Order: sequence, then structure tokens, then C-alpha cells
Amino acid sequence: MTTTVKLEADALQVYRSDKEVLSGISFSLSSSEVYALLGGNGAGKSTTLLSFLGFLPAAGGRVLVNGKDVSADHKAARAAIAYLPEAASLYEHLNAFENLRYFLQLAGRSEDSPALEAALDRVSLAPASRARRLKDYSKGMRQKVAIALAILRDTDILLLDEPTSGLDPSAIDEFHDLIRDLADTGKTILMVTHDVYGACQVADRIGLLRGGKLVGEFSAPTDGRIETETVHRAFSGRTVDTQLAV
Amino acid sequence: MLQSEVWFLLRDRAFRVWVLVVLLFSGFAVWSGLAEVAQQRQSIAFLVDADSTDRTSEFSAQGDWGSAAYYSFHLTYDPPSDFAFAAMGQRDASSWKHRLRMLALEGQIYEHDPGNPELALIGRFDFAFFAAFVLPLVLIFLLHDLKAGERTAGRFNLLVASAGNDNRLWWTRSLLRAIGVLIAAVGPLLVGGVVSGTSAASLLGATAMVTAYVLFWTVVCLWLGSRQHPASVILASLIGVWVLLGTLLPAGGRVIIDRLVSVPSGADILMTQREAVNDAWDLPVADTMAPFVARHPEWTGYTHTGDGFDWGWYYAFQQVGDQTTESLSAAYRKGRARRDQLAAWFAIAAPPALLERWLQKLAGTNVEAVLDYEESVRAFHAELRAFYYPGLFGDAAFDPARIDDLPQFSSSE
Ligand SMILES: Nc1ncnc2c1ncn2[C@@H]1O[C@H](COP(=O)(O)OP(=O)(O)O)[C@@H](O)[C@H]1O
Ligand SMILES: [Mg+2]
Repeated sequence: MTTTVKLEADALQVYRSDKEVLSGISFSLSSSEVYALLGGNGAGKSTTLLSFLGFLPAAGGRVLVNGKDVSADHKAARAAIAYLPEAASLYEHLNAFENLRYFLQLAGRSEDSPALEAALDRVSLAPASRARRLKDYSKGMRQKVAIALAILRDTDILLLDEPTSGLDPSAIDEFHDLIRDLADTGKTILMVTHDVYGACQVADRIGLLRGGKLVGEFSAPTDGRIETETVHRAFSGRTVDTQLAV
Repeated sequence: MLQSEVWFLLRDRAFRVWVLVVLLFSGFAVWSGLAEVAQQRQSIAFLVDADSTDRTSEFSAQGDWGSAAYYSFHLTYDPPSDFAFAAMGQRDASSWKHRLRMLALEGQIYEHDPGNPELALIGRFDFAFFAAFVLPLVLIFLLHDLKAGERTAGRFNLLVASAGNDNRLWWTRSLLRAIGVLIAAVGPLLVGGVVSGTSAASLLGATAMVTAYVLFWTVVCLWLGSRQHPASVILASLIGVWVLLGTLLPAGGRVIIDRLVSVPSGADILMTQREAVNDAWDLPVADTMAPFVARHPEWTGYTHTGDGFDWGWYYAFQQVGDQTTESLSAAYRKGRARRDQLAAWFAIAAPPALLERWLQKLAGTNVEAVLDYEESVRAFHAELRAFYYPGLFGDAAFDPARIDDLPQFSSSE
């Protein structure tokens, strides 16, 4: 499999309400890679994802999707990306199938029922609840539908903002398996989380974001996972300064 | 996208409720308009019937032209058009029927009370009012949070990211809602039109006007609704626009126009004429006959000059009464027409007023129609004078059979 750079932030600087939220961060992802942006609240994780979708303009630097500057063609970027927003919410008065169909057709896709069922199987949403309206769902169930939607978009790139929030531990494990499966089929996955353990479980690389700066990056060894302990120490601030010195 | 947006819309409870509300309001407005028109037609039919019967008995009971003219009444009326049910307009503010005698005319035109003074003040709930003022409110309620609502629900980014071209999404959503509202609003109008036999051209014209109007408000809602403010702020600003365009601008315009163009009141005309006629009793006959003959040189040979009563002299001072108010009455008509013209220009800045004016024009219930009707009353009254004057000022002998030759008022219908 040839690896091409699918997502790239190049000295990206973003302001929100006159406040610098991202201060020149740079990183890139190739196909089949899972990259986790790790950071506390307000670090700028969601902002980074929104920049890739062209929702927030780059005040400095660039964001590229498939090698193309997003500011030049945000429609192409959006078409190439399946986006799972933070605390994604779908339509409460529609059931899981109706929501999936509606959002998919917005993206110009139509899937038959078996495909929808298969996607809901992959996120383990109980079959009995699929025809119920989302207003009867738990937070985790809603999140599962939103994840199924992202899978069904069948794009090369997935941007997932806190995808495991609301999921119970076993569902999180299943989700991580799902992410690894998707990466194995060539998908590029950029996910945002503040869950150190989860990030280490699933990511090929982890970027540590703090106060709008990328303060550290960790890569998995070729035949293993990133060590949680190392990342945790960095995340909680104990080793960041030495890491940064590199 | 269209198909699934239609599907999506039909599952939207709020939309269904609002469409039902529009249907009910429009239906009620049309129904009450039809009822009012039926009532007016009925009252005209009754008066027309009574009119000729009365006259026949009075006229034939008289022995001379003067008393025949004195005791005969003549009905004039402006029947509601086939589209009047949709926009009653000036029919609530000005008289659309008169019972004339061959006396001084101008006072008779203006002495009538408007049929529904309180309605003239607050406005009748007819289709025009509903469409101009209620419809925009419904659109505002329906469309103001199209985007803000999705933002609050946390779906906005997902929708936009999924759609790629989100302008198309918002336009589709707005227009579909607007079309739903439009159909619910125009549906009852068309039914009412069929019931009252309105011409297809009028119905088509009205539909086009309301469509353009709904489109205008849809664009305003979409435009203001695109701001990244909370839904409540957007709602407040849209209602502000509605108040501005629907009430403040028209009211301000009326004040300015009334200042710019002064119009004598109908009561002034009535009083001036009444005084002229009353004074004439005490004036030398010649004082009356001079201005009369100036207008009617053919009756220079009229011989009654001395004391005592004569019908010719009596009707001459009735006409001279009209002559004294001529300039006042002309100023009144000119002023009303001028105000109306200015209001037409002003309405361009206030779409609700513009729509009402358009519909009233179609319905023949605008100021122009009132002035036209008043002109037709004057023309008819002139015919009456032309009929009687040979008997009053010449030597044509009274003949009760001549009743068949009396001028007939024919309405514009
Ligand atoms: N809609 C917004 N308007 C203005 N500032 C915002 C907005 N959303 C987030 N911010 C600010 O941007 C910074 C980064 O936010 P965000 O990217 O959401 O952080 P994270 O996802 O890492 O928790 C924070 O300081 C936050 O206060
Ligand atoms: Mg966030």
C-alpha cells in the first residue's frame, strides 16, 4: 500500500473571537494512519478538526486535505471527510435508519437497508432499538448511531471528535477494534480525545496539544502500541518540558 | 436533496402545526370576506327592488316636475367586485351606496357615514390583511431558527460538513417551508374565488403577488437567520423588521403624506353647500339665477324673477349650491388622489402596505375605485338635471308617463 499524505496542518494558526486558539501547529497523517490529538479542555483539539473542514479560517499557515489547501476548496475537503462532531446530535424525532438515510443523502449517498444494518451491527447498536426514535436513546446509543454514520460515509478520511464519550468501557473496546479495522482498510483517522489510555490503545501516533501548541508527539513502535505510562506522564505535565526540548 | 427534504419536512411537527394555523386563518379570512360580500349584494338587491317601487308611486302621485323631482329618490351603488371578498379595502371607509335626490349633490355624497367606522380604524380581518400581516409572522416563526436551531441542537456542523454545499440546504429548507405556507394561504383564496366566480386573471394575479411577498419574507428570514446569534435574538430582530415595515413605516408615511397634502373634509363640503343653499332663500332671485344661467345659457329665458316660490328657482339654487362647493370638492378629490399616489410610492418601501394596495386594486376597493364611483354618481346626477330642467325652466308639460324616460343609474357591474 502506498502511503500518501492525507491530512496536513502546516504552522496552523487560528483565532476564535480575537483569541489565538491554535498557535502554529504542524502535523500530518498518511493513509492507514490513526492519529490521536490528546489534550485537556480548551487545548484546541476541536478547533483543529474544524479547521480541516474549512469551518474556521487559518489566520496563519495552512491546512491541507488530500494535498489541497482547504481555504481554496472547502467543499472538496468536506466531501473527502467523514466528520463526527463533539457531542454529535442527530434528529431526535427520527429513528436510527431515518437519521442515517437523511444525513447520507445530504452527503449525496444512498445506502440500502442491509448496509445500514451492517453499519449498526459494527457499532453494536441493539437491533431492537434501531426503529425507535432517538429521543428514547441513551447518550451512548446516540453516539453509536453517529459513529455508524461516519462509517457509512465511506470516505478516505475520518475526523472524530471525542468519539468514545458516552460509550461504556466494553463499547469503547469495540470501538477501538473498529478503528483499527478501518485503518487496515486504508482509512486515515484523526481523532480527538482527552482519554490517554484510549489514545494509546488505538493510535499509531499521538500529538499532545496544550494551549494551542503541539507540545509533544509519540509514535507506536512497529509491532506494538504506544506506552500509556509515557504519555500519561507527559499529559499530566511531568515530562513535557524535557520532551519539548527535542 | 429535494425529495429527502420534502420527506424530512413532512415529519416536522412544528411545520405541520403552522401550516394548519395558516390554513385556518386564511380560511376564516376568506369565509368572512365572502359573507360580507354576500351581505352587501343582498342589501343592494333589496335596495334596488325598493328603489323603483318607491319612485313609481311617488312620481306618479305628483302633478308637476318640481315635486316629482323633490319626492323621487334614486339609488346609486358600487357593487362588490368578484374579488372584493379578498380585500374589502375602502368599502369599509367610504360609502358604496347612496339614495340621491335632485337636490344639491355634493353634500349628499359626503353626508353618509362610512359603513364600518370601527373597521376602517383597526382594519378588517380579510385575506389582504391576513396575507400582509399574519403571513409574515408565521414565516418568521417558522424560519427564524432554521440555522440557529441546528446550532443550538449541535447539528449545524454535521449538517454543513455532510452537505458540503450548505447554501443549497438552507435555501431548500426555507423555500419548501415557504411553499407549504403559501399553499395553505392561497388554497382558501382560490376556493373562495371559485365560489364567487372570480376571474382567473384576478386569482392568478393575486397568487403571483402573494408568492412574491412570501418570497420576500423568506429571503429576509434567511438573511437575518444566517447571523450567528441565538434564535431569540434573530426572532426579536425579525419581529422588529415586521413592526417597522408593517406598522411604523406605513403610519409614519401616512402622517407625512397628510402633512404634505391637505384635503378638505367631507363635512366642510357638506356645511359650505348647506349654507349656500339655506342663504339662497333670503337672496334676490337674480343673485341665484345669474350664476345658474352662466352655467346654463340655454335657460336664459327663464322668467320667474319676482317674489314667491318657484321650483325652477329652487332647483337653480340647489345647483348653485353645488357650484359654490365646486372648488372645495375638486380640492377634496384631487387631494385624495394625490395622497393615494404618494401612498403608492411610499408603499414601495413597505411591502405589507404594497401587497394590500395591490390586492385592493385587483378587488376594485382602492381609493381610485371610490373616486370613480363618486364620479359616476355625479354623472348620473347630471343626467337627472338634464332630464328635469326642460320641465323646470322651459315649458315642457308634466307627464307621469315620462317616468319611463328617467335616467337609470347603471353600476359598473
Ligand atoms: N465558538 C467559540 N467561540 C469562541 N471561542 C471558542 C469557541 N469555541 C471554543 N473556543 C475557544 O477556543 C479554545 C479551544 O477550544 P476547543 O478547540 O473547543 O478546545 P478542545 O476541543 O480542545 O476542548 C478555547 O479556549 C475555547 O474557549
Ligand atoms: Mg473539544
